[in-house]
Amino acid sequence: MSEAIGTIKKLNEKLVKKEISCTELTKLYLNEIDKCNGELNAYVNITEETALETAKTVDEKLAKGMEIAPLEGIPMTLKDNISTNGIETTCCSKILKGYKPIYNATVWDHLKSQNAVMLGKTNLDEFAMGSTCETSCFGGAKNPHDTDYVAGGSSGGVSSAVGGNIAAYGLGSDTGGSIRQPASFCGIVGLKPTYGAVSRYGLIAFASSLDQIGPITKTVEDTALVYDAISEFDPKDSTSQGRRNNPTTPTLKNSIKGMKIGILKEYMTGIGDEIAASVENAKEVYKSLGAEIIETSLPAVKYALPVYYILACAEASSNLGRYDGIRYGYKTDRYDSIHEMMCKTRSEGFGAEVKRRILLGTYVLSAGYYDAYYKKAQDLRGAIMKGFNELFEKCDVIIAPTVPMTALKKGQNAGNPTENYLTDLCTVPVNIAGIPAVSVPCGVAKNGMPIGLQIIGPSFSEPTILNAAWQFETATHDSVFKVSPYGVKL
Amino acid sequence: MITREDILNIALLAKLDVAEDELDNLTKEMSAVVAFADAVNEADIKTESFDNVNNLANVFRSDEVQPSLPNEEIIKNALDSDDGYFVVKKRA
Amino acid sequence: MNYELVSGFETHVELSTKTKIFCGCTTQFGGDPNTHCCPICIGLPGTLPKLNEQVVHYAIMAGLATNCEIANVAKMDRKNYCYPDLPKAYQISQFDMPLCKNGYVELSNGRKIRILRIHIEEDAGKLIHQQGNTYIDYNRGGVPLIEIVSEPDIRTVEEAKEYVEKLQLIMRYIGVSDCKMQEGSMRCDVNISVRPKGSEELGTRTEIKNMNSITFIAKAMEYEFERQVSVVESGGKVVQETLRYDEASDTTSSMRGKEDAHDYRYFREPDLVTINVLDSLIEEIRESLPELPFVKLQRYIDELGIPETDAQLLTKYRKIAEYFEDSIKGTQNPRTAANFILGQIFKRLENESAKEEFDIKTTADQLREMILLIESGKVKMNLAKSTLEKMLDTGKAFGELVSESDMAGLSDEALIELCKQAVSENPNAVADYKAGKEKALKSILGTVMKNSRGKADANMAEAKLKELLS
Ligand SMILES: [Mg+2]
Ligand SMILES: [Zn+2]
Repeated sequence: MSEAIGTIKKLNEKLVKKEISCTELTKLYLNEIDKCNGELNAYVNITEETALETAKTVDEKLAKGMEIAPLEGIPMTLKDNISTNGIETTCCSKILKGYKPIYNATVWDHLKSQNAVMLGKTNLDEFAMGSTCETSCFGGAKNPHDTDYVAGGSSGGVSSAVGGNIAAYGLGSDTGGSIRQPASFCGIVGLKPTYGAVSRYGLIAFASSLDQIGPITKTVEDTALVYDAISEFDPKDSTSQGRRNNPTTPTLKNSIKGMKIGILKEYMTGIGDEIAASVENAKEVYKSLGAEIIETSLPAVKYALPVYYILACAEASSNLGRYDGIRYGYKTDRYDSIHEMMCKTRSEGFGAEVKRRILLGTYVLSAGYYDAYYKKAQDLRGAIMKGFNELFEKCDVIIAPTVPMTALKKGQNAGNPTENYLTDLCTVPVNIAGIPAVSVPCGVAKNGMPIGLQIIGPSFSEPTILNAAWQFETATHDSVFKVSPYGVKL
Repeated sequence: MITREDILNIALLAKLDVAEDELDNLTKEMSAVVAFADAVNEADIKTESFDNVNNLANVFRSDEVQPSLPNEEIIKNALDSDDGYFVVKKRA
Repeated sequence: MNYELVSGFETHVELSTKTKIFCGCTTQFGGDPNTHCCPICIGLPGTLPKLNEQVVHYAIMAGLATNCEIANVAKMDRKNYCYPDLPKAYQISQFDMPLCKNGYVELSNGRKIRILRIHIEEDAGKLIHQQGNTYIDYNRGGVPLIEIVSEPDIRTVEEAKEYVEKLQLIMRYIGVSDCKMQEGSMRCDVNISVRPKGSEELGTRTEIKNMNSITFIAKAMEYEFERQVSVVESGGKVVQETLRYDEASDTTSSMRGKEDAHDYRYFREPDLVTINVLDSLIEEIRESLPELPFVKLQRYIDELGIPETDAQLLTKYRKIAEYFEDSIKGTQNPRTAANFILGQIFKRLENESAKEEFDIKTTADQLREMILLIESGKVKMNLAKSTLEKMLDTGKAFGELVSESDMAGLSDEALIELCKQAVSENPNAVADYKAGKEKALKSILGTVMKNSRGKADANMAEAKLKELLS
């Protein structure tokens, strides 16, 4: 079995056994970032000083013979839409350049308290709106398996960094697939948790009822570790519930004999041949592990994509109204009135895709159109949720492709917004239903690009889907895991 | 069908400028996006009411004062501030 | 032709919670700019609101006190518009599922002004425009408000004034707001239209925004009524628009330019969850509500026999009414306490806010103690009156200021002695009196009272003096 490199588990062992000090480890990563980031464009801000400071704290603990937590001293990264006190947080938008939050996102508070070594903040599509990371004002992050290809989006930077071994893990956010899709493109693991499992406090909102923070890691076990660390109830977030279960990590490695795994007709249409073949293969793997496959259907899923774009854009148009040049971020130079100042600031500060979505969102909420679009989309959301609930009375989990295709070439869909939206086809239903899904590597296409398998479960079923993912990963690791030529090889 | 007037109207609401030379292209693009969204109106399935994702209710704070942040912190990120105020300066 | 005024009010009332509606910042009025702020109430990216439970309770109280139905299920919505005083570019408010609806406020003429709805929302920040610059202070941003929306049931300026005063009285009474119009904690948007008397149709309305004085509300309404009548009479049409009232010129003018095309794009606030109000909570709150002022007024008149004008004064301020009710417990005639309160005590409360605060040194128990002594005949009214002044000055109890023997009053011998002394001290007055000037007796009596340190009974002393000088 070819070994996964730079996993949290392995780095933790090395630190505990004192094979390497945390400072050495951190420097090793910073060094590799220095070498590779020019090409990968994963990081948009490197926080060397705070990383080394934290590393020193961890080394002091180790020197005193104190125990360290699983994530303690592990070099990691945050998507640059997660607020970090005093550290620039830009959403990769010109409109937020220079903005330094005056508070921490709850997830960062959790990780910081465990002495997570943050190497820097990573690239994303501007305000997480995109599927290729190319709408970033810093330019897109590249795929660590072949830099002619995109890393995916919107959490392209985290995925490029983790896939490219210049971070052991990272936190991304997933509104319509933004964790799972780039994880799939980069050949790694990404979890979109149940809505409410992880606090959104400090995550710069794209679409509030769909956004969820989650881990992007190299292995399922690492994902479980990070998920356990961040899935606490947060009184600052009214929609927060925490993981509602005991820690997930110990429940991995359970047998899945007799597990009922659904496959939806709707997910298997309109997808690439290689993708379909890899899902077929996964089906066989699961059968061999003793699971029962149930072929079924959920017609409401057909409308998931337009429903998603209506709801996400509507919420985004409202969430992004606050960027007006007054309290933070970019402000235009010359204006005759406050109205003009706001219009110019926003027009100069936002990129084309963001503006397009704000306009669509404004349109679907405006007088005369609300019922036809927003209201209808809400009702369909209800139908999709109910459909999934009924489905989960028959199946324990559902497997599906993560993305209908493998990573796109750079600039492939430039200027064709609706074409780009199709990459989200298989990921958005999960956000609409508020349920969890994990993407694990399940193959490599002929062009060498990774393929991801999505495992979807009912609300708060993270232990189940991660266990199913762990079983799959263990059974197939040799055939599906692909090592990137970049970064730290530990 | 989305018109040039629609675009100008929603741009005004969204506080975005649309230049005359962008208008045709944007109208075309937005029409495609709206046509895409229109699929919801052809949906032939039974709809269900939806209120919030996890059907939560009554999540409240108690009325207890928490310290506010110092003024320097609050206005720290503003490009223009004066005497503790955020300011929109005259810049004609 | 005769025209009729048709008016409805949207009244914003700031709630007396300790903290803002969605964060823990204080709601205290004033303060240096942007010092009652945190990442949430200045709308920093990534922050989330959390609803203050007290706001919901206060809104329910306001609803019950204005005869509203309380919703069992409510939600919060976003009202979207970009303006510098609104840091998130949306106000979190309630759109189609407000907490309270279908209530009314009854006026003294018996007419009911229907309340369409009461909803909760957040206040905006404050803008100061100076020399072309705009200065922004978010201290007030996020302070909880209720918006009380009436039906267009108001027909005269007098009714409007009474309606606003009545709301103010109710909200203060139940303790949900101090309703200080000068500090902006109560503000009205006034909708006005006109129609020929007798017509049932509604004319096109205009809205005068943000009025915070009853006097100016009245003036603005009068002006706007005349203006609309003259527009209609000259064959024109009233344009539906939002107006600002200018106090200096006593005129209204249009507020909005074309960039303010408003379409609020309301939608459910996804950062907050459903509000379920159980019937048991509604009942609990109903039980806890104090007796409302007009109910009290009627009870004072009917059951306590207080004259209407006095009863009105006593019930106008909740603290005074409570004081009055405490001070009459166990006494025979409530009018005694009423007279002391509306006389000597009221003299010490110079203005409305002093009456509102009702910060006096004598407790209701102390007053009651004195009244019981009066009613038992142990203390003469004169002594009571003069002692009350000292009580109000010092906060001391009656018993601390007046001893048992003082209370017993003067023996006949002592009184005669005092009268004789006064006669010898006032030879001129005695001469005048004897010459037929009845009034001269008063100054001799004054001396008796003074020397007795208030203990003498004036009537008895006068009788004795007359006896001596006859
Ligand atoms: Mg309002
Ligand atoms: Zn605050």
